Amino acid sequence: MMLTVVGFLVRAMVVLTGTALLTFALLWNAPGDPAQAIAIARFNAVPTQDVIDQVRAEAGLNASFWAAFLNWIGPLLLFDFGNSSVTGRPVGPDLWVAATYSFPLAITALAIGLAISLPLAILATRRPGGFMDRFAVAIASLGTAIPAFWLGLLLILLFAVQLAWLPAMGARTPTHAVLPALTLGLGIAASLTRIIRSGILEAWEQPFLAAFRHRGVSDRAIGRDHIGPHAAVPVVTVFGLELAFLLEGVVVVEVIFGRPGLGSFLTSAILARDFPHVQAVVLLTALVFVVVNLIIDVVYRVLDPRIGEPDA
Amino acid sequence: MRSVAVIGAAILLFVVFGPLLATHDPSTINIPKRLSPPGDEFFLGTDALGRDILSRILHGARWSLGLAFLISLIGLCVGTLIGLLAALGGKLADWVVMRTTDTFLSFPELVAAVVIAGLMGAGTWSLIFALSVTSWMRYARVARGIGLSLQSRGYVIQARLAGMSPLYIARWHYLPSLLPSLTVVWTGMFARAILGISSLGFLGFGVQPPMPEWGTMLLDARVHMRSTPLQMIWPGLAVVVSVLAINLAGDALRDALAKTERAK
Repeated sequence: MMLTVVGFLVRAMVVLTGTALLTFALLWNAPGDPAQAIAIARFNAVPTQDVIDQVRAEAGLNASFWAAFLNWIGPLLLFDFGNSSVTGRPVGPDLWVAATYSFPLAITALAIGLAISLPLAILATRRPGGFMDRFAVAIASLGTAIPAFWLGLLLILLFAVQLAWLPAMGARTPTHAVLPALTLGLGIAASLTRIIRSGILEAWEQPFLAAFRHRGVSDRAIGRDHIGPHAAVPVVTVFGLELAFLLEGVVVVEVIFGRPGLGSFLTSAILARDFPHVQAVVLLTALVFVVVNLIIDVVYRVLDPRIGEPDA
Repeated sequence: MRSVAVIGAAILLFVVFGPLLATHDPSTINIPKRLSPPGDEFFLGTDALGRDILSRILHGARWSLGLAFLISLIGLCVGTLIGLLAALGGKLADWVVMRTTDTFLSFPELVAAVVIAGLMGAGTWSLIFALSVTSWMRYARVARGIGLSLQSRGYVIQARLAGMSPLYIARWHYLPSLLPSLTVVWTGMFARAILGISSLGFLGFGVQPPMPEWGTMLLDARVHMRSTPLQMIWPGLAVVVSVLAINLAGDALRDALAKTERAK
């Protein structure tokens, strides 16, 4: 077990270094003059060549690729993201503020997704092929086909424009988070319903369940002690994919609802060619992703001890 | 299998002949008729510049569906090649390829595509590049997995002993076994590409106006949500219907494959 964890950590380090290198190479080779873009963003006017050259020197864009890469990755190991090339402020605190908008939103969305999909999947599998089952499958299929941004627009249209119950733009009060969280949560619920449903159905087909029932074990106990854990394995496995969906969704949803989170942080940084900001968001996302996948790998080995055994 | 063929044919027909059904030119600006409601002249109404929405959606299929088809095909080819390289190229190649795949997978695809497309400058070419770069990994994983399982099959060992080149083995022994599973992955990625193109278009990093791409149309429509909410419904509906159709075809294909597997 210890060895596998160490193996995972090594693999995570390789992946993170690769991501850092790829991001840096991408930014380095992006077309257009980054110094000019930064100068425009900083001074809000068309800059002269002198100003552009000065910005280039300040932002460290003069150095060679590897020198610049090492310059950037060195402080990064101490969690120092450098300074924004547009505002000149340190990236870390601004990134943290943005994250405090995004992560609670993502977690709330996940909770909403689970709260909808779990009961729906359990109801659906009571009678496979019955009305509830078909309803759940239809809703889930529809839900996975709806792009997050369109669902968000529809919710704004219904609850903010037509009914005027909830605010749509900004993030001043907690009620501002209702529609974004709902947008993401419904998307999560759709894919989770499919997975939990097929997990439960597969668990029902296990041959040992019939034996338990013959011995008089109650349906309740079977559900709790056998179906539950069995269905949990695929759910945990796809959690990484759900996380990807959440992070993608956060970017789009924050732009739609005008929330100052990581998504808005990223898109405005891209438009302003603010490389330190882009790099920081990309690396933070990769870090979250790698860490969560590490936890998943460990958790599902605990849930299903057969995984990772040589003769499984 | 049949359902996939039907859906594929329907989409192809729609992409090729859809624009012929358009009643108006998709980019003719008609300011006096701007934001008109659905009616006899404009079946689904007009947008903020007076362009016919139905015609734009029909022409937009070439962008949204055609580009998605292209992108998923690029991903299919690149991913399969990379996966076969890992399966046939020995331990070192396998390790390098799989860690590269992990690195690319360790990132939400859409976020990566936003970063790439945004930095390359908005436009159709950067859109194609950004979404292709982020879409080959699943094919590579599937191709490598099946490839490794084929390695110890009798006919593959026979072919190797007979002195066939890895290229020959890959083409004649691996590829035929890979195709069914890769097709299932491909349907899923096709649907994802449609969602990706419209999302990037909506964020302003995709197909640029005045091209009638569905996501870009939604970006335009959003501003006029209060006055003409219906304008926002149609392009989104087009995305949902296409994605749903492709997903259902993919599910049917997967079930059919599982059945033939069991029959063996």
